[in-house]
Amino acid sequence: MVATLNNRVSPYIFDDYFNKGQTSANSPFVTASSRWMGKDLPLRASLIAALFLATAFALSFFPTVKPASGILLVAVYFLVGIPSLIDAVRDLAAFEINIDVLMTFAAFSSVLLGSGMEGALLLVLFETSSALEKTVTRKAQGAISRLHRLSPGSAHVVKEDGTLLERSVKDITVGTQILVRAGEVVPLDGTIISGTTQVSLMHLTGENVPVTKKPGEEIPAGATNGEGSVTLQVTRTDDNSTVARIIKLVTQAREARPRLQCWFDRISRGYATSIISISLLFALIVPLIGHTRYFGPTGSIYRALTFLIAASPCALIIAIPIAYLSAVSVCARRGIILKGGITLDALAGCSAIAFDKTGTLTLGKLSCTGIEPLQHSGTDEKEAVIVAAALERGAVHPVARAIIAYAEERHLDGVAVDDFKATAGYGVEGMITVGTEPIKSYIGSPEFITEKLPQEAKRPLEERSEEVRAAGELLAVALISEKIWIFRFRDTLRPQIAHTIEVLKEKHRWKLLMLTGDHPASARRIANNLKIDEYYANLRPEDKLTHVSLLAEKQRLAMVGDGINDAPALARATVGICMGKVGSTTAVDAADVILLHDNLERLPWLLDKAGQTQRVVRQNLAFAAAAILGATIPALMGLIPLWLAVVLHEGGTIVVGLNALRLVRK
Amino acid sequence: MAEETHFSGKKPLDHVVEKQTAGLLKSAEIHGVEMPGHLAAGTDAMKESAFLLVFLATVLDRLAYTPNEIGGILTIFSIGWMLWKTGRAALLGWHHLERMHRVMEEERWEIEHHRKQERQELLELYSVKGFQGKLLDDVVDVLMSDSDRLLRVMLEEELGLTLETTEHPLLQSAGAFFGVLIAAVTVILSVLFFPIYGIIITGAIVVATASVIAARNERNRTIPATIWNLGMAGAAFGIGYFLLDFVLTR
Repeated sequence: MVATLNNRVSPYIFDDYFNKGQTSANSPFVTASSRWMGKDLPLRASLIAALFLATAFALSFFPTVKPASGILLVAVYFLVGIPSLIDAVRDLAAFEINIDVLMTFAAFSSVLLGSGMEGALLLVLFETSSALEKTVTRKAQGAISRLHRLSPGSAHVVKEDGTLLERSVKDITVGTQILVRAGEVVPLDGTIISGTTQVSLMHLTGENVPVTKKPGEEIPAGATNGEGSVTLQVTRTDDNSTVARIIKLVTQAREARPRLQCWFDRISRGYATSIISISLLFALIVPLIGHTRYFGPTGSIYRALTFLIAASPCALIIAIPIAYLSAVSVCARRGIILKGGITLDALAGCSAIAFDKTGTLTLGKLSCTGIEPLQHSGTDEKEAVIVAAALERGAVHPVARAIIAYAEERHLDGVAVDDFKATAGYGVEGMITVGTEPIKSYIGSPEFITEKLPQEAKRPLEERSEEVRAAGELLAVALISEKIWIFRFRDTLRPQIAHTIEVLKEKHRWKLLMLTGDHPASARRIANNLKIDEYYANLRPEDKLTHVSLLAEKQRLAMVGDGINDAPALARATVGICMGKVGSTTAVDAADVILLHDNLERLPWLLDKAGQTQRVVRQNLAFAAAAILGATIPALMGLIPLWLAVVLHEGGTIVVGLNALRLVRK
Repeated sequence: MAEETHFSGKKPLDHVVEKQTAGLLKSAEIHGVEMPGHLAAGTDAMKESAFLLVFLATVLDRLAYTPNEIGGILTIFSIGWMLWKTGRAALLGWHHLERMHRVMEEERWEIEHHRKQERQELLELYSVKGFQGKLLDDVVDVLMSDSDRLLRVMLEEELGLTLETTEHPLLQSAGAFFGVLIAAVTVILSVLFFPIYGIIITGAIVVATASVIAARNERNRTIPATIWNLGMAGAAFGIGYFLLDFVLTR
């Protein structure tokens, strides 16, 4: 029966509707061919209204076609007045007097005084800015909706009779057994009850090197399963899954607003009520106590209305959000998600930055730095590399890729492998013919090789392994013709990181620090390479937090990290910056800035943008306040006509809008 | 408790039937179920506009207005009427979509919060279709495993709604716009060139053409549909024509 469903329908049709704003442009019921008609409808209506208004204004100078001007004006009120009226009436029905009500009241009242053109101008500008905001917000939501698709919605439940059943993760309870096949994303947290595999915890810990998981060990949801199939016993339900938490975070980030804007929202209600009250009082009382009349171009009603329009804080309203919105939007296009505009303020005030090492300054991608013999002369090193590369061609582990790359760089050609066998999570083995005789060869973790050695040979390997690990390096061990070879690996520096660090230091005069849980030797090497001012190694999460707290007390500090161990420090820093691709959920949660593509090289650009945004906001606020003061007081005194009040008022709005749009430029 | 709320004291199958009926009613196209909304809006607008314009022309002719005056008045009336019909078609389309979106959101909420009851509904739906025993359980389990697929199944199977079949409201309004435009241009031109009987015949031709287009798209029988439409228009016109005698003195 399922086959009767319309299979042309996009599988993401509901995601699009529920996550990208519920409009006719993404309605699942509307035909795909006609959906475009609903795209950015408020913005299109506002632009058409603006065109009509300009034409109406031009035609109003020609008496013979003046009725046409009136017709166009009616169309303007229809296109942009009705949406404003709906919002205003809805607010009034909820006993809320706000800026929307103030604006709509002013615009429609102007018609009564024969100044419909000015009212229409007010409506067009107000609706255009509102429609622009909606369009930008919807685009930001689009990026978030894509995150939903990373989440596995179902799991293969192992039934009592051993058969598999696909079930929604929402229906799976603690204790259920689920099968996770090779290459699949783990849908729920669970403990392995059968099978051994290697899982990538890149999204959870920032660690790119897969981790071996055996029966009895736990695998978190969101981990990517490697080569082996495993059966898990579910230990936690879907409610707290990794992707669900990222989505929650991004939603919170979107909703977080700058302090200035929050303050503005709070006072807007009081402001609107005050302005409407003053206008009404002025219109009603002044004729009773003075010589002013109620009606006419010098009457109290006309002056009150002029005051109402002049005092409508359009410019002030859009001054802050449009600047932040433009900046946040351009950052999003560059793959940088900001936790609201306040982050830009904070970033502009920072003077120091602390980096985590693994996954942040380095890629977490291994490169083979050398090969050494263990307790033998090591004369046949080339042969060892050829054998190791031949064995590793059948594996996908980063260590395997590093060995193959090492062999290729030295033009050491591969040879055929017979009887190849992989032990998931440990290593590989096979028969290799380099000379005349086939040789049984092994390569893998020290533990994998230790099992195959006689008792007396185990100890030296264990000791050497410890030494290599203590130096902050990884190792793989090969056993070829009873000879042991140790391959050493180091993490690769992120491309362009040296340039980024240099720009931060030279141009922005930032103090640079590195905080890492790694071995001091490894930390020193990276710090020296990158000319980082200070570094702290061997740090536990609480040590990182202590360092960041102390530093943040002295100066505003940005912190860049990716793993769970960085999360407390990211939260404590003035601005926490997290690597989006490799970052753990907790780190992403704690950070204020998420570099979606781990694009750390964008950091200097982001700092420039933060500074520019701060300048634009200040300019806008000053200009908007001046425009309002410059128009309201003369309006009350009857010194300026309604049209001039509108021009002064709207001129201010246009100027702050255009000024903010400068931030959109990349 | 959730079960009581969900089924409102009814058996699952009764609940399904009730929901299916509600879905069919809610999904009923404003301008007809079978043909695309813009065509339905267009043919409806053609018929209504032709009838109104012919009747108005007849009244004005009885009041001894000249053909040019009648043409002018009909043009002004047509512009207002066109805006009304265009806007109205868009509004009806949007209201229709709003209703369907509401139904979809309610169903989504039920899927998220009343999964046990949704499963029972699926069991009833698919047992009626002939699935039994383990196969029935398996089918339902598969459907329940993916929330989006489940929502589609419940919308299409339980509520009788169909995805991606409604034309966008603006396209429907464009249909109405062109419907009025075709009828208005035809009738107004006939006013300028023919006597009153010619106008009535032109109007009848417009109504008949719209009826044929609608019937063909709906795959209805063309001749009865056309005759019925012409008959209704003729009867309404005739009654109105003779009632005019009571109010017009010139």
